[in-house]
Amino acid sequence: MSDRALRAGVAVVALGGTAIAAYLTYVHYRPSALICTASGGCETVQESSYATLLGVPVALLGLCAYLAVLALVVYDSELARVGAATIALTAVGFSVYLVSLQAFVIDAWCIWCLVNDLVVVPLLAVLTVWRVVRQPEAAGAA
Amino acid sequence: MPPKPRKPPPRHPGTRNRNLLLAGAGAAVLVLVLVIASVLLARGGGDSTTTTSTTGDAALFAGIPQHDDVLGAPNAPVTMIQFEDLQCPICRSYQEQGFSQIVEQYVRPGKVKLRFAGIAFLGSDSEKALSYVLAAGKQGKLWDYAAALYANQGGENSGWVTDALLEQLAGDLGLDWSQLMQDAAGGEVKQQAEAMAAEAAQRQVPGTPTFFVQVGNGTPYLVQPTSFSIDTFRPILDDALGQ
Repeated sequence: MSDRALRAGVAVVALGGTAIAAYLTYVHYRPSALICTASGGCETVQESSYATLLGVPVALLGLCAYLAVLALVVYDSELARVGAATIALTAVGFSVYLVSLQAFVIDAWCIWCLVNDLVVVPLLAVLTVWRVVRQPEAAGAA
Repeated sequence: MPPKPRKPPPRHPGTRNRNLLLAGAGAAVLVLVLVIASVLLARGGGDSTTTTSTTGDAALFAGIPQHDDVLGAPNAPVTMIQFEDLQCPICRSYQEQGFSQIVEQYVRPGKVKLRFAGIAFLGSDSEKALSYVLAAGKQGKLWDYAAALYANQGGENSGWVTDALLEQLAGDLGLDWSQLMQDAAGGEVKQQAEAMAAEAAQRQVPGTPTFFVQVGNGTPYLVQPTSFSIDTFRPILDDALGQ
């Protein structure tokens, strides 16, 4: 796969993640569901004390991370690739923690959080690390 | 003769490995910081083992008749049925928002009575809380006890409904703790909980809180407030009173 394709892949995945994180951020600040359901965990995940860090919603942190990856993939230097991979790998680690919380502590599931943590984030990590592994063939890399 | 094209510079595996190491190490440090921060801040904000042991606004129900699961004058023309799970944070939000004003403006004057319909779908803490709330109803303080539990609501299924908390709140509210324990474990409370669950199933209650309004002995109908503000409930209740 060419680096151009990989770069496009990172951008597409990061855009998808941005959309999910933006939605979760919106729900956090303005929950439209005034009801707990047995399947939805009554927005328990979103309402739990683990949903924010120092008052900042975790979803908003995720949104910032995705936007940073998008910026880095546009800028595209060697350092930018490392930066994007660092962010993506951080997201993988933190996602493992968040999914564990849902499973063992909060005992409720947030579906869109799971889509993000189990699909988008790992895919982003694979693509960004792949770009670090593949160094550009042209003499443009620093 | 055209110049030979320059060969691209050879790859440097060392650079690649260095970059991977940088990314991995950086990520590991960041993950550690984030997880530690998350755990410390979450526990500091809402530790399930600590309780404030407040009983909510004790004066709210003073002077209002309570008969088992009903709050308000028995002959109030309108009944609002509240399907609730004591672990439900949105039910707690309702308690903290419009509930007290509904009680003051509609229940206290005898216009509306509220019927508690507790369901325990969120887990074991819900079941335990519900048993004790229904038992408190045998001593005429179901609504006080429910309010107290909401005021001390902990993390979902975190084990926050401890015997210590239940006893503390019972003491604060002047309930007979021995009788409360006995009733909570008894068959009558169990049957009452099962009846409430059956009613929820029959009415296809989708979750909690869910509200039904009943005018006189008519068929209860579902109402769906868009917020928990008294301004949202006012037209609902006024409409029912006008029927």
